[in-house]
Amino acid sequence: MPESVIEVAGLTRRYGQRRGIEDVNLAIPDGSLYGFLGPNGAGKTTTIRVLLGFLRPTGGQARVFGLDCWRHSRRIKDEIGYIPGDLRLYPWLTGKVALSLFGSIRRRDLTAKGRELAEMFDLDMNVKVRRMSRGMRQKLGLVLSLAPDPRLLILDEPTSGLDPLMQDRLQDYLQRAALRGKTVFFSSHTLSEVERLCERVAIVREGKIVADDTLGELKRKAGHEVEIAWRPGGSRGVDVVPGLVLSTRTDVAWSGMFHGDVRSLMRWLGGLEVEDVVVRRPDLETLFRRYYEVEARS
Amino acid sequence: MVNLGLIRRAWLEMRGPTIAFGLAAMVVSTMIHFALPRFQKSLEAFQLPASRLMNLNNLRSAMLGTDVSNAAGREIAAGVAWSHPFFLALVFAHIITVCTRVPAGEVDKGTMDVLLGLPVSRLQLFISETIAAVGTSCMVIVLSVIGSRIGNSMAPEGMTPDLGRVVMVAAVLMLLVAAVGAIAMLFSTITDRRMRAVAAVLMVVVASLLLNYLGLIWEPAKKAVFLSLLNYYRPIGPLGQGAWPLRDMAVLGGIAGAVWLAAGAWFSRRDLSTT
Repeated sequence: MPESVIEVAGLTRRYGQRRGIEDVNLAIPDGSLYGFLGPNGAGKTTTIRVLLGFLRPTGGQARVFGLDCWRHSRRIKDEIGYIPGDLRLYPWLTGKVALSLFGSIRRRDLTAKGRELAEMFDLDMNVKVRRMSRGMRQKLGLVLSLAPDPRLLILDEPTSGLDPLMQDRLQDYLQRAALRGKTVFFSSHTLSEVERLCERVAIVREGKIVADDTLGELKRKAGHEVEIAWRPGGSRGVDVVPGLVLSTRTDVAWSGMFHGDVRSLMRWLGGLEVEDVVVRRPDLETLFRRYYEVEARS
Repeated sequence: MVNLGLIRRAWLEMRGPTIAFGLAAMVVSTMIHFALPRFQKSLEAFQLPASRLMNLNNLRSAMLGTDVSNAAGREIAAGVAWSHPFFLALVFAHIITVCTRVPAGEVDKGTMDVLLGLPVSRLQLFISETIAAVGTSCMVIVLSVIGSRIGNSMAPEGMTPDLGRVVMVAAVLMLLVAAVGAIAMLFSTITDRRMRAVAAVLMVVVASLLLNYLGLIWEPAKKAVFLSLLNYYRPIGPLGQGAWPLRDMAVLGGIAGAVWLAAGAWFSRRDLSTT
């Protein structure tokens, strides 16, 4: 079992009476691509801000590289590349000045790596931030956070403002970084990119973690999506097989979720007047919606 | 403890306001130090009635924060120039601009997350900001001294104060600026809104000016005048006696140090992020 880069136990952070996060537990292994999912206001950014030492936790513990996030914030950030969700940069900066300035703050030369990343993102480093489009600013933010080649990348909605081609390039880069042993903590509400990129995901809802597992395991636990198209009159008098929970049921079509051994479902279907059948693992979007619907109902 | 990159960042942000306020202070200083000695000389040429002379002395005393009835014309002209409200307003505007940038200005602009996401401690950030604020304030004051010497060079003969005494005034002014800067840093640390911090420190400065003025013309205000920062900035003293006003300097330095420490302590403990 690889060592955990981020360890969060019972982490709580309130803003006065307002909820931030509550009893959050996370263990993110070294070298993993970890997705942190939730809609706006769920508590993703609050968690990240506690990890970076911006906010002091109300309760619980947050450790990165085994160090306390509040007390050893500077040492921790030495090995972190971070891009905030709502990225704002100084308007007087150009890409070149930013690279040189951030390099001198980090006490390392970022020029060569920064230039390489700027080429990858197709970014003109001579333009001032005040003249940049949102996408260009996002690219510059990515160049600045990736250039130090840190051990841990904390990326809060990193693809916002990027066109699909640049999103692909970023994802490729992050996958390569993970192969080199870097850890990527990727916060997003865009499910497709998390599904494509991350091996493991945590879903946060109203400040609490409602799921934390590998994508495969989450899908396995969620069961199979089933769609059945009946021949005329085929569904008449048919009893639902145990494990199948229907969400739609008409004379000609049924759909729902099946929990159990898929072979028993096939055996049951084999004896019926079925026109067509679709059985599949749900995608992340479906899983995500289900977690939210289930939680909302409870 | 000191991060040169952070100081460079502060300088890149502050250089515009510093050059603008510094040049403005130099020009204003040149004009005041050119015009006031002439005005003083022309006043001395008149034989004013005793009652009017007393009124004039009261007015000048109120402005200078000390009794000037026995001071020489050269010191009065220079003293008025160094405590001229227009000149002080420029110097204070600079330090308030500079010292409310972090953290209130950064939070306001939304750049705090990027800045604090870098491997820097809050202490490093606070110290770097302080070094940059002291450095740029020194530049504004040095430019003001240069302006005063340019103005004096065109003044009537015998109206130019000794440079050593002007340096003493500049040193006390630097401590006054440090005290105002520390108060600005404290307010900037307490609030997340830069305009609130600016408004609060302006209130302190205006209240100091008002109290200092009222203390000289209104008996009940005299008891509270020790609360005014400007009570400890009296250029006429070093200009007239050529001695360091050590008590005033100690008070201003003490205020600056104590408030700076309080601001630093608050800064290191508070939550910091873009809201």
